Amino acid sequence: MVFYLIGLGLGDEQDITLRGLETVRWCARVYLEAYTSVLPVDVARLERQYGQRVMLADREMVEDGADDLLHGADTSDVALLVVGDVFWATTHQDLWLRARRRGIECAVVHNAGIMNAVGVCGLQMYRFGETISLVWFTERWRPTSWYPRLAANRQRGLHTLCLLDIRVKEPTEESLARGKPVYEAPRFMSVAEAAQQLLQVAAWRRERRNGQANPTNDAEAPEPYCACAEAYTAQTLGIGLARAGQATQQILVGTLEQLARAELGPPLHALIIPGELHALEAEFVATLPQVSGRQ
Amino acid sequence: MVNFTVDQMRSLMDTPEQIRNMSVIAHVDHGKSTLTDSLVAAAGIIAVTAAGDTRLTDTRQDEQDRCITIKSTGISLFFHYPLELDLPKDSGDSRDFLVNLIDSPGHVDFSSEVTAALRVTDGALVVVDCVEGVCVQTETVLRQALAERIKPVMTINKLDRAFLELQLEAEEMYQTFTRVIETANVIMATYQDPALGDVQVSPQKGTVAFSAGLHGWAFTLTRFARMYAKKFGVDVEKMTHRLWGDSFFNRKTKKWSKSDTDADGTKLERAFCEFIIKPVKKIIELAMSDQVEALEKLLAGLDVTLNNEDKQLRQKPLMKRVLQKWLPADQALLEMMVTHLPSPAKAQKYRTELLYEGPMDDVAATAMRNCDPKGPLMLYVSKMVPATDKGRFIAFGRVFSGTVRTGMKVRIYGPNYEPGEKKDLAVKNIQRTMLMMGRRTEAIESIPAGNTVGLVGLDQYLVKAGTITDEDTAFPIRNMKYSVSPVVRVAVEPKNPSDLPKLVEGLKRLAKSDPLVEVSMEESGEHIIAGAGELHLEICLKDLQDDFMNGAEIRIGNPVVSFRETVEGVPNPESTAVCLSKSPNKHNRLYIYADPLPEGVAKAIEDGKVTPRDDVKTRAKYLHEEFGLDEDAARRIWCFAPDTTGCNLLMDRTKAVQFMNEIKDSCVAAMQWATKEGALCDEPMRNIGFHIADVTLHADAIHRGGGQIIPTCRRCLYGAQLMAAPRLFEPVFMVDITCPEQCVGAIYGLLSRKRGMVTEEQQRSGTPLWILKAFLPVVESFGFTADLRSATSGQAFPQMIFSHWDVVSGNPLETGNLAYEFCKSTRLRKGLKEAIPDISHYFDKL
Repeated sequence: MVFYLIGLGLGDEQDITLRGLETVRWCARVYLEAYTSVLPVDVARLERQYGQRVMLADREMVEDGADDLLHGADTSDVALLVVGDVFWATTHQDLWLRARRRGIECAVVHNAGIMNAVGVCGLQMYRFGETISLVWFTERWRPTSWYPRLAANRQRGLHTLCLLDIRVKEPTEESLARGKPVYEAPRFMSVAEAAQQLLQVAAWRRERRNGQANPTNDAEAPEPYCACAEAYTAQTLGIGLARAGQATQQILVGTLEQLARAELGPPLHALIIPGELHALEAEFVATLPQVSGRQ
Repeated sequence: MVNFTVDQMRSLMDTPEQIRNMSVIAHVDHGKSTLTDSLVAAAGIIAVTAAGDTRLTDTRQDEQDRCITIKSTGISLFFHYPLELDLPKDSGDSRDFLVNLIDSPGHVDFSSEVTAALRVTDGALVVVDCVEGVCVQTETVLRQALAERIKPVMTINKLDRAFLELQLEAEEMYQTFTRVIETANVIMATYQDPALGDVQVSPQKGTVAFSAGLHGWAFTLTRFARMYAKKFGVDVEKMTHRLWGDSFFNRKTKKWSKSDTDADGTKLERAFCEFIIKPVKKIIELAMSDQVEALEKLLAGLDVTLNNEDKQLRQKPLMKRVLQKWLPADQALLEMMVTHLPSPAKAQKYRTELLYEGPMDDVAATAMRNCDPKGPLMLYVSKMVPATDKGRFIAFGRVFSGTVRTGMKVRIYGPNYEPGEKKDLAVKNIQRTMLMMGRRTEAIESIPAGNTVGLVGLDQYLVKAGTITDEDTAFPIRNMKYSVSPVVRVAVEPKNPSDLPKLVEGLKRLAKSDPLVEVSMEESGEHIIAGAGELHLEICLKDLQDDFMNGAEIRIGNPVVSFRETVEGVPNPESTAVCLSKSPNKHNRLYIYADPLPEGVAKAIEDGKVTPRDDVKTRAKYLHEEFGLDEDAARRIWCFAPDTTGCNLLMDRTKAVQFMNEIKDSCVAAMQWATKEGALCDEPMRNIGFHIADVTLHADAIHRGGGQIIPTCRRCLYGAQLMAAPRLFEPVFMVDITCPEQCVGAIYGLLSRKRGMVTEEQQRSGTPLWILKAFLPVVESFGFTADLRSATSGQAFPQMIFSHWDVVSGNPLETGNLAYEFCKSTRLRKGLKEAIPDISHYFDKL
């Protein structure tokens, strides 16, 4: 039979497409993939709406327990509900490939995802460059490999969508190494934190140029990070987008410096760094709420 | 005894030139403690307030019962340099000297105590039994001392045995003594450190004394040379040289000669025998046969008078009294130590580069070299001593520079502190500084550089040892390296389950009180105590139960040993044994293979010759040239593991792969844990080199974070271990057995039953005793002492010291061999599944 990957959209249980809803209703088993993104409503509401029991599939289930997930998909229909759109998370491809390898037919029901929802900021979809994700720096792990890519986008005048780290049911580092999971509390990176991190990296680059040691991954930081042109300054414009596609969606425009102090409420957040603005784009952006308070 | 107030004592501490810090080291039962006792009785300093106390060295009950020293104990002695002698070069103008002496245990199981004692001293008095000669532990402690740049002097002890028990002829005695000195000098030459200068000892130089600790007398050649110099009218130095070696005296012609026969062919008496042994022997004979009058006449010529009380004594007590009066042990030994051992001021000049981890030109290093009491505080705490109020500990250590004061705010570096980081660092006030005199303590306002000190209020921040400083930029003082490892372990549990909190608290205190013992908790919830040997464990368990748990009863499991996991390696591992593991999201792939490190590398790492802190280029060159480690591998070492210092290496062997630096930390974290708990039976790994051959990574950092890489790398390391012919290492003791000849056969039989292997067998010259050296697996050593005793009717006495790790024969992955059995029992004990996980758990197909 068929293994369905169904996009749920960004809002709540109501955002599912009609085709998606019908598919869910006839499936034998329904899972909700719950770690590459999160839905603002709980599972019980989904179950009421869809009239189906919805099982949570966490990271371990999707990554390591894919066999359970796909079990029986050759004789009955199984659906995996995905927040936003399908294929955005890297694991979806893996699942698809694995299902195909077992000879299970796969089908996709699309929905809106963050990639198209950013359009609400007034930027043209055609003019987005490579998407980057920002992760929390830890004491010892401070990846900066996104910097050259951001710089390249900026140089070509393209907009950059920065996805922000979410840590749901993440095992602690020690437990990972010992192979016995102990989980951290869930955390979501905010626009302010992201902006602060961008500024921090800019500061490190300055120090490095001045010949001072800095705490990025020591001397081995790859050349592009050091060699590429400056991608942004504290005065660079950024757009903070919180809870895209939801009723409480919030947008805020400001310089990175201003955004670093901005408060955008509960998760999820995304940060957009616009490139060169087309006249129409500029007009649109000007209508968005500004940090400085003026409309 | 010398009665001093704390203030008088404190004033002695101000001049480093007038201080000697020294430890007494020797093989077990060579008479250290007895000798120390006689020194303390004559020259020990006790504070006036404490005078009248019966014993200053308030030793433990079990120490007395067993007649062995268990803990090292410090004591201060006062020595007034005799007026008629020239002051040694290395001293100030005063003739008053403060000698801080630490008596250390001789049993191998407690050699960690010796290490702790050596760290805080600059010189060592090596005591050797004249009958037993240089033994295995003599060698061990000498090696430890020289490695710490401690200058040795020697005393040949138990002379009374040579005279009374063995009734040796004078010439025989001389031969025995020379042999002892020669053996010791060979050892010293082997481990000599050029920075320490000449450490060879010889009676002519005055660095060898002859003593009878039990009877409280001792002499050096100088003592006799001074006596005879007047008589013969030559200077003391010339006389000293005449009294040792091939120097003979012709009584008839009153001439000295170099050969042992005169012109007529008659035998000549060696000067040492003629002028030293014979008079002593004469006195002993007279005293033992109660010829008091003849004795008095003889003594009159030696400026020794007997009082009436003395004359009442008979035989042994008489002999003891006479010899004590003539040749007091404290004078001879203290004079030797003060003259030939370095003061802190002198010793720290060459010890600083060995002790200090930071650059040699910074302010702390300079102050340490100069032993500057006004410089920044640099203090090393070498051990924790239980305080009189139960549960608290006094940190015992040595001030290397600066002055430590009560109430002072200090930085406390634990053993894992790294300069510039906050790990294992505490900033606290010292509650009180103490003067440590045996088990007694006296509060004191401050203690300047060059002295030992006790500190109160640091026990919460220091586990066993560490550096104390008040200089923000100071680097720590190097951690001590122990010559023994905690390889014998037992599980303990409280008899009454409600005592569990007591046990947990007790174990914490035990870990503090002993420099070596390790306490840990297994996955199964078992509490484990690891020690150097059976005796060490026995003492630890007794301390735990009686002192640290207030007598709550504990149940003790069977002793077990810790193993190490390793690999034998397979040919061309880079093509035949590469393990591939995929990350959970399948977007990252790691390819790792394992092979054994070249011979000698593990030892070099364990000995601290190769460390993670070395300069990368010099280390790579050394590893490549000395051991033949691949050049590319040597240059790209990511980490040492486990515990960042262990002897397994993770090496990045990839070519032109991006983002390697972003997964480095994840891999290092995985390596640290994986090597701590190997795939075979959760025991630490040893001597494995892991090579990351290749990686495939996702382009975006978020998909190759710790969550993806750490578990993958861990699996990959395990897989690589299993694919490279895994083996098990077991610890092996070096056993040293002294026994009469007729027992040798029985011992061979016993050893072969226990998988032992005799490596050396020789007769101790001049005695009917034989010495056997053998390797014995630690697993088989439990109860060995008892078995040996019954097999030889108590005539053989073993000394066991950890020697090396040896591969257990057999492939642990196949049934029916010893390695498999060891793995199985270890796994079961730890509550793991009996079977070692299959390689498919770790290896992913492409």
